[in-house]
Amino acid sequence: MTVAPLELARRQFLGRMTTGLTGVALARLLRADLFGAAGGGVLPHFPAKAKRVLQIFCPGGASHVDLWDHKPLLEKFHGTPLPGGDAEVTFQGKNGNLMRSPWDFAPAGRSGKMISTLLPHMARHVDDMAFVHSMTSRTNTHGPGCIAMNTCFTREGFPSAGAWISHGLGTLNENLPTFVALQDIRGEPPNGKANWGNGFLPAQHQAVVLAAHQPLRNLARPGSISEAEEEATRAFLAQANAGHAEAHPGNSELRARIAAYELAARMQLAAPEVSDLSREPAHVHALYGTNDANMLKASYARNCLLTRRLLEKGVRYVSLYCASRASSVDGLLNWDAHKTLKADYERHAPIFDQPTAALLADMKQRGLLADTLVIWCSEFGRMPTHQEGTAGRDHNPDAFTTWLMGAGVKGGVSHGATDDFGRRSVQDVATVYDFYATVLHLLGVDHERLTYYHNGSNRRLTDVHGHVLKGVLS
Amino acid sequence: MGRRCGKSKWALLAAGLLTAARVNAAEAAGVAFFEQKIRPVLVEHCYECHSDQAKKIKGGLRLDSRAGWLTGGDGGTAAIVPGQPEESLLIRAVQHLEDDLAMPPKKPKLPDAVIADLVSWVKMGAPDPRDGALVEAKRADKSWWSLQPLRAADPAVGVGPEAIDHYIEVSLKEKGLALNPPADARALIRRMSYDVTGLPPTPEDVAAFAAAYRSEPQRAVAELADRLLALPAYGERWGRHWLDVVRFGETIGFEVNFPINDLWPFRDYVIRSLNEDKPFNRFIAEQLAGDVFGKDQPETEVGSAFLVAGPYDSVGNRDVVAQKNIRAATLDDLITATSGAFLGMTIHCARCHHHKFDPIPTEDYYRLRAAFEGVTHGRRVIASAEERAAFKAATDPLNDQRAKLVKDRDTLEREVTRRAKEAADKVVATRSKVNPELTEERFEPVAVRAVKLVMTASTTNPKSAGGSRIVEFEAWSAGDGARNVALASNGARAEGAKSAVAEDFPEAYGAHLAIDGLFGEQWFIGTPAVLTVTFAKTETIDRVSFRNAKDLMTEDKAQGATPTDYEIQVSADGETWRTVASSAGREPWSAAHAIERMRREVTTPEEAKQIAALSAEIAKVDRALKAVPPLREVWAGKYAQPEEGTFVHKGGDPMKPGEAVVPASPTMADRVVPSFALPADAPEGERRRALGEWIVRDDHPLTPRVLANRVWQYHFGTGIVDTPSDFGFLGGRPTHPELLDYLARRLVAVGWRLKPLHREILLSRTYRQSGAHRADAARVDQEARLLWRFPPRRLGAEELRDTMLHVAGKLDRKMGGPGFRLYKFTQNNVCTYFPLDRHGPETYRRSVYHQNARASVVDVLNDFDLPDIAFAAPRRANTTTPLQALTLLNHSFTTDMAQALADRLEHGSGASSSEKIDAAYAIAFQRSPTAEERAAGAKLIETHGLTAFCRALLNMNELIYLD
Repeated sequence: MTVAPLELARRQFLGRMTTGLTGVALARLLRADLFGAAGGGVLPHFPAKAKRVLQIFCPGGASHVDLWDHKPLLEKFHGTPLPGGDAEVTFQGKNGNLMRSPWDFAPAGRSGKMISTLLPHMARHVDDMAFVHSMTSRTNTHGPGCIAMNTCFTREGFPSAGAWISHGLGTLNENLPTFVALQDIRGEPPNGKANWGNGFLPAQHQAVVLAAHQPLRNLARPGSISEAEEEATRAFLAQANAGHAEAHPGNSELRARIAAYELAARMQLAAPEVSDLSREPAHVHALYGTNDANMLKASYARNCLLTRRLLEKGVRYVSLYCASRASSVDGLLNWDAHKTLKADYERHAPIFDQPTAALLADMKQRGLLADTLVIWCSEFGRMPTHQEGTAGRDHNPDAFTTWLMGAGVKGGVSHGATDDFGRRSVQDVATVYDFYATVLHLLGVDHERLTYYHNGSNRRLTDVHGHVLKGVLS
Repeated sequence: MGRRCGKSKWALLAAGLLTAARVNAAEAAGVAFFEQKIRPVLVEHCYECHSDQAKKIKGGLRLDSRAGWLTGGDGGTAAIVPGQPEESLLIRAVQHLEDDLAMPPKKPKLPDAVIADLVSWVKMGAPDPRDGALVEAKRADKSWWSLQPLRAADPAVGVGPEAIDHYIEVSLKEKGLALNPPADARALIRRMSYDVTGLPPTPEDVAAFAAAYRSEPQRAVAELADRLLALPAYGERWGRHWLDVVRFGETIGFEVNFPINDLWPFRDYVIRSLNEDKPFNRFIAEQLAGDVFGKDQPETEVGSAFLVAGPYDSVGNRDVVAQKNIRAATLDDLITATSGAFLGMTIHCARCHHHKFDPIPTEDYYRLRAAFEGVTHGRRVIASAEERAAFKAATDPLNDQRAKLVKDRDTLEREVTRRAKEAADKVVATRSKVNPELTEERFEPVAVRAVKLVMTASTTNPKSAGGSRIVEFEAWSAGDGARNVALASNGARAEGAKSAVAEDFPEAYGAHLAIDGLFGEQWFIGTPAVLTVTFAKTETIDRVSFRNAKDLMTEDKAQGATPTDYEIQVSADGETWRTVASSAGREPWSAAHAIERMRREVTTPEEAKQIAALSAEIAKVDRALKAVPPLREVWAGKYAQPEEGTFVHKGGDPMKPGEAVVPASPTMADRVVPSFALPADAPEGERRRALGEWIVRDDHPLTPRVLANRVWQYHFGTGIVDTPSDFGFLGGRPTHPELLDYLARRLVAVGWRLKPLHREILLSRTYRQSGAHRADAARVDQEARLLWRFPPRRLGAEELRDTMLHVAGKLDRKMGGPGFRLYKFTQNNVCTYFPLDRHGPETYRRSVYHQNARASVVDVLNDFDLPDIAFAAPRRANTTTPLQALTLLNHSFTTDMAQALADRLEHGSGASSSEKIDAAYAIAFQRSPTAEERAAGAKLIETHGLTAFCRALLNMNELIYLD
C-alpha cells in the first residue's frame, strides 16, 4: 500500500489540482481495493483473445424459429399436429398445430446462412457470427430464465457473468465502471436487477446502470452547489481525511476511501463525456438510427451508440438490453409473443435490427471487434406450434439460439441443431454453462478455476458443468 | 471477506495436519521449505492430474505423497531423485527439457522462480512429510470438529470476562503477542454504543462516561453495558443482524417481486424477542413452529413467518414438470435457511448427491424437506382466541343478516330470470352473432363529428364489457371511395377508459390503440365501457365496425374477450347523441346473454323497487362488515397435511423419485445428539415442532456453537469461525476453539440468553483494548484475528444512514409497525423498483424499518453493502467504491441532512463559526476540533456557508469509521 492517496489529498487541499492523480500506484490501489480483481496474479489463466464483452440481450424468449433457425418443414407442415406432441402442455397451457413463421427466410452473406427477412440489417453480419442453435434452458419461466442466462442459476442471488468477469479480471480503465448495464427505455428485463447483480460477490462487481435516457445516479453535484463551493468542500474534506488517516496508520481502508472520492471526481468528468452523443457526427447517428421517428427504436439506437463509446473507453463488460419485462399483455414490452406473433415482432424487430447491425458494423470498422467478444442472448426460444386459442407461440426451453461474434470467434459457422421443427435441440446440445465456459475461455479464463467461496461451496459461474464450445472458436 | 480459493485451502489444511506429524528436528527447515514453497505449487499445478482429487491419475504418477513420487508413474522410475535435480524427471518436465513431457501440460511454463524452488528442494534431498500415514483429508466425517460435543470447561479458568481474556491471551502468547492497552474513554463508548445500539452516543453521554471511566473504569464499563443493553435500540440493532441471518426481505423476489406488506410483524417480533432477551432456544423453535408452540398466542405464532421470509417463484406454470421443479426450489429455500441459520451446515449442498465435503447424505436433505413438506407461502390470520371470538361476535349477526337479504333478493331475481328466459326463447334473431374478427353495423348516411361505441356485455361477461378488448375500430365515409375516418392518421381522436395500466409505459393499453390502423396492440376496455371517436371534421358516415383481432394465422380467432352488446351513437356537436345502430336483433352470444338482454324488459316496477331496496340493504350490511376491524393477517405461510410422502430426488430431479424418507433429524451429529424420526404420515405441525426441538437441544454440538460465534462476530467484526453459517469442511476453522466452546457452553448455561453473554464480552479486556495499529504485531497477524487490537470497522449501511439522521437531529425513533420505503415501485404484471431521489421526513426512521425489497437498489443503503436478500447474509461485505462517494456527496439525502445539521447548529449553538464548529464536532465525533481543524472549517464556512461545512462533515472518514 502506498501513500499516494494521501499525497493526492494534500495536493487537492493545496488547490493545485482536483483530478490529477494518474500514477501507476493509484491505479494499482484502485484495482485492488475498489475494483477488486481476484488478485494474486493468477488471471488470466492463459492468453486471452478478448479483452471485453458486449452482451446484447433480447428478453422475453426471442423466437429462434422466426429469427435465426430456419425450419423449412414448418412451412410444409403448417396447420398439422406436431408429431409426437399431441396436446402438449407448456408454460401457458395447451398447444395447437404447427405454425409457419410469418416471415420468409433468405440466404445471407458468403456463408449463405438462412436468416429471417425480418432482420435485413442483421443478415449482413452472418459471416462474422457463430450461431449456437442447440441451446437449452432449465426453466420455462422468464424471470428464472433471464437470470439463468446471466448467472447460470435459475434462482436469485448468484453473480452475473459480468460481475464474475469484473471480479476475475478487474478494470480496464481508471475512471469508468468495469461493468455497465444499459436497460431498455421500456423498463427492466424480467427479474430486473438480479440480471446484472453481484450476487454474493462484493458489491463493486455489480453493473452500474446507465443508458442514454438514464444518467448514472448521483453523478452530478446538486444544482444548489457551485463549482467553487464543491472544490472548497472537497479540499476541506480531503484535508480532514488525510489528517484522520495519518492518525490511524495501518488502516488501508481509510486510504482506499480517500482514493474512492478521487475516482468519483474523475468519473464525474469521464461519464458525462462518454455519454455525450452529440460528439458523434451526423452520419454515425444516421447509421444507428438515433433520430428515427419510432421513439423506441431511436432510444435503443442511442443506447447502441453509447455502448460503442463505453467499450472504446475500456468498460470491460456491457450488457445492452433490447426490450423489457412481461407486461399484462404478452409480447407488448418484450419478445414474449404468446398471442400475436406477427404484430409483436413487427413491433420489436425493427427496433432491434438496424441499430444493432449499425453497432456491429461500427465496431468492426473501428477495429473494436478484434478484441471485443459480442454475445447475443435470450432466455429461451419459442414453440414451433401456436398456442391454443392464439396466433402466438409459447415458451420453449428445449431449443433456442444464441450467437457469438468478434474476438476469437469463427464467423459463419453454426454449432448444434434443433430437430426438423425447432421443438428440441438434438445435435451437440448446449447449455448456458457451455456458453459461458466459452465466453470465459475467450477471455483467457478457465471456467473451472474462477471460484469464490460462498455458503459451503467454492462457487463457479458455470456451477459444476460446462464445456467450451470449440466449434465456435477461430 | 469470505473469499477462499479452493486450492490454497488444501494447502492450509495440509499445513494444519503437519503439526501432528513426527518430524525429525533436523528436517524441520527442509519441511518448512516444502510447506512454504513446494506443497502449494504441487497442489496448484499438479494435483489436478496427479493426486487423489484427479478424475483419472495421469501416467499413473501421484504427487500427493512421498511414496507417490518415489514409486514414479507408469514408466516405473522415481519421478524425483533426492539431491539430483538433473536426474529427476519431474524437474526436467517442468523445465521443458523433455520434448514430449512439458509440464504442466497445455499451460504456460511455470515461473522461473518456482522452478528454482523445486530445484532447490530436490537438491536438499526433497524433504517431504507426506509419509502416507498423513493422507490429506478430503472431506469431513462425523469426527469433524464442529460435530463433537462441546469441550468440558477447564475449572481453573472459571467464567466471566476473565475467562474470555484467558483464552485470547493464551493464543496471543503463543505468537509472542499481547493485548493493546485499554482504549480511551471516547473510543470505547463510541464503539460500545454503535455495537449495542447502532447509534452514536451523545456528547453528554461521552462526557459522563469519561469522568466515570477515569475514576473506576471497570464499574463505568459495566454500568454502560447494562444501560446500553437495556435500551430498545439494542433490539433494533441486534434484530437487524438476525434478519440478515434469516434472509428476511419484504418482497417475494423473482420475476413478479410483489411487495409483502404484512411481513413486518415478524421484524417486530425479532426486535421484541431480542429486547426481552427471550431464550434463543425458544426463539429458534418458535421460528420453525411458532404456530404449534404458541397456538392462539399471536406474539409467538408470528415467529413461524421465518419459514416464508425468503424469495420464491410465484409465476404460475401449466407445465407439470416445471411445477414440481418450482416447488422443489421453494422448499429448498426453507431447507437452506434452516440449516444455515441454526445449524451452520450446508445441507442444501446435498440436494442432488451426498454432500461432497461434509457427512451429510442426500437423504438428510429430504428428511428436512419432509419436515417442511406441508408449508406454502402466503398469509394467514394470526390472532388470539379472544380476538377471534370478538371478531366472530361482531360479524356473525351481520353475516346472518346478509345471508337472509341475499336469499330474498335471489328469490326475486330467480323469478325475473325465469320470465326473462321464457321471453328470450320467443325472440328470433334477425342477424348473426357478433364476430370477434369483424362486427359491422350499417345505417343511413349521417353527417357527424363524433361516434360512440357504448358497450354493455362481452363474450365472457353478459353483464359488462369492462375488461374485453378491441384491436381496431373503424368508421367509414358514405359513398364511393369509402375512407376510414376514425383513423388517427386521418386526424381522429379516441377516448375511453382502460382496464390495465403500465405506469412506466403510459402508451400501453390505451383507447388510441383502437384507431392506430394496426392489428397488434389492443385497447383494454375499462369502465365505463365507452369508446368515443372524434373526427378531424364533420364526416358523412354509414358504417362502423370493430374487431378484437385480424389476420390470424390459426383457426383461433379471439385475443381475449370481445364486446357483444352495444349501441352506436353519433353526434354532430359532441354534446347531443343519438343511437343509429345496436346489437339488438343479433343472435345473443349465449343463453346467459339472451336472458340478460331480456331481464330489464320483464322486470316489473315493483320487482325493480324491491330488488333495489334489498341491494341497498345488503350494501349497508357490507359497510357495517367492513367497519369491523379485520383480524390481522400476516405473511406467515400456510400449512396443510402433505398429500404425498417425501422421496429422495435422484440427482435433484423431482421427476426421478428415489427412496422414501420420513421427517427426521439429519444424521451428521447422531453420535452426539439423539436423533428423531417421525412416521411418514406424521401431522404437519409435529414435523416442524420435532425439528425445532431437536435443533435447540442443550447437548447439540452445532446450534450453541453457531450462535455463540455469531454473537462474537457481531462484536468483533469476524467470528471465531469466519464462515458463520458454514461449520463444515469448506468453512473456516476456529481461531480459538476453546473460547468458542466456552462461549457456547456459557450460552446454554445462562439459559440461551444473549444479554449475559454480551455483557461478559463487553467487559472483557479483549473488547476494551484500543484499536491502535502496531506494525510489529501486524507482521505476525495482519488481520488481527488473534485480537492483539480491537479491529477498527466501517459503519454498516443502516448505521451510516441512522447516524446521518441522528447528527442532523432528524431521526424519528418510532418503533415498529409497517415500514417505510426509499423507493417507489410500479406494478404491471411484475413490480419494478426505483430508488427515490428525495427522501421525505416520513422516511426519517431507523433503517431497520425500511421495507427492503429484493432485487432493488436503494443507493443510500445498498451502496454501503446492505445485501440483496436472495440469500441469507450471515456476514456482510465491506466495500469501498466510488459510487459510495457519489451517493454521499450528491444525493439529496446528504444535502437535506447537511441543511438540517446547519439549522441545528444555527439555532442550538453560539453565534461564531468556531462555536458552531465545536458543536458540530461534538455532535458528530464527540470531541473538540483541533485549532487547525477549526481554522479550516471557519474558512469554509466563511466562503461557502455552514451547509457546505456540514456536507463535508457527513462525508468524513471519521464519521464512518470506528476505532
